Amino acid sequence: MTVQEFYDEVGGDYNEIMSRLRTEDRIRKFAGMFTRDESYKTLVQSINDGDAEEAFRAAHTMKGMCQNMAFTRLFQSSHEITEVLRGKDIEGAKKMLEKVTEDYDIVITGIGKLLA
Amino acid sequence: METMETMEEIETIEKNTILIADDAEINREMIKFIFDEQYNIIEAENGEQAIEIIKKDSDKLCLLFLDLLMPKKSGLDVLAFMNEEYYINTIPVIMITGEATDETDEKAYEYGASDIIYKPFAPNVVMRRAKNIMELFEHRIYIEHKLEKRTRQLRESREKLERSNEFLVNALSSVVEFRSLESGEHIQRVKYFTKLFLKYIMKIYPKYGITKEQSSLIVNASALHDIGKIAIPDSILLKPGKLSEEEFEEMKKHTIYGCELLEKFKQEDNEFYHYCYDICRYHHERHDGNGYPDRLKGDEIPIWAQIVSVVDVYDALVSKRVYKDPFAVEEAARMILEGECGVFSPEMLDCFRLAKQELFAVTEGKFSFADVMVK
Repeated sequence: MTVQEFYDEVGGDYNEIMSRLRTEDRIRKFAGMFTRDESYKTLVQSINDGDAEEAFRAAHTMKGMCQNMAFTRLFQSSHEITEVLRGKDIEGAKKMLEKVTEDYDIVITGIGKLLA
Repeated sequence: METMETMEEIETIEKNTILIADDAEINREMIKFIFDEQYNIIEAENGEQAIEIIKKDSDKLCLLFLDLLMPKKSGLDVLAFMNEEYYINTIPVIMITGEATDETDEKAYEYGASDIIYKPFAPNVVMRRAKNIMELFEHRIYIEHKLEKRTRQLRESREKLERSNEFLVNALSSVVEFRSLESGEHIQRVKYFTKLFLKYIMKIYPKYGITKEQSSLIVNASALHDIGKIAIPDSILLKPGKLSEEEFEEMKKHTIYGCELLEKFKQEDNEFYHYCYDICRYHHERHDGNGYPDRLKGDEIPIWAQIVSVVDVYDALVSKRVYKDPFAVEEAARMILEGECGVFSPEMLDCFRLAKQELFAVTEGKFSFADVMVK
């Protein structure tokens, strides 16, 4: 899978990431790092635990990474859940978690194929 | 001089480490790859780590990228720490944030951050902004170093000059003492007593508006009060008995002679010159107008001359002279307070009462006088 195909598949912005990171090798390296990050896991865990503050930070971190990686679609859903969690609305976040998970899984699966 | 410059250069070259504090590895890497060819990079995963690194490596750090939202301690906590410990003046901080909210932005700037960058990072822009800020800081620190050095040099040369001045004034004043075959300590005592009086004047009579700087000039000037005696003939100056009326008239002129001598080197705009002049001329004037040479009274007599007149009289009373034995300190004090040596102003007598015990202590040699004068 090419980097261009990968970005199309996960709903990201290939041109933007290329303009910033310059080489596909570098993009691959960063994509690998993205799979190692534990923010998503922390987000799920803390929403289940009802820890709005920790969940907010995890969502915020995720959102920041998506921004940097130009994962536009996952950025959008993690941005929305971040705002809900900023208001400490755990119930609202629970409802949005499904969408975040869906977008996240697409990215992770995509990276798996990209690095295969 | 040249070695100093070289040292400063080395100092700036060594500051080549950038600290990146962000909880997400990916975000750190995004900045790291921009700089890691030209700089050493240290990373921190949270605010606590960042603070530890700043404490340990502050002298190497030339820039800090700081994420706002981090576990343990936040970016703002780190900034607060840097303010408390003054690192904020030497290490520039660029805040990293996902979104522009006026509130946090304002807070970050308020806490001394130099700039804020928003995700996603455009490498060229980040690099350019970082370099600008580092250059600015480097330059500012360099200028501050230079200024500090210059200020120190100025202070040192001023102190040196003051010491030389004091030395010359002392040397000049002791010429007279030497000629009158006195012990040479009269002048040191007058200076010390003048200083004591000034201490009380400043404390209880702020109306005279004497400052610390003025006070030290006056103390120095007091040494020259009798400089005019250099022009008095030996037959009068060294006469062991009471002076005739004619001789006494001549003796009185030492106040005028002193001023004539000073006027040859007149410095109209020099405060010190005026203290010297006033003290030479008026240190025998009295509050009621019965002194000499100009029969000034009350406030017409400058306060510095009034001080020297009291302390001069006191020291003369308690000293042994060719024509008299010393009076006991209590007796001398009584004579001054009761106006037996001419009338002094109520303010001077107040100061005399306050300073009395300290004057006695010097006269009775209760402490080493030389130690007191050493600053």
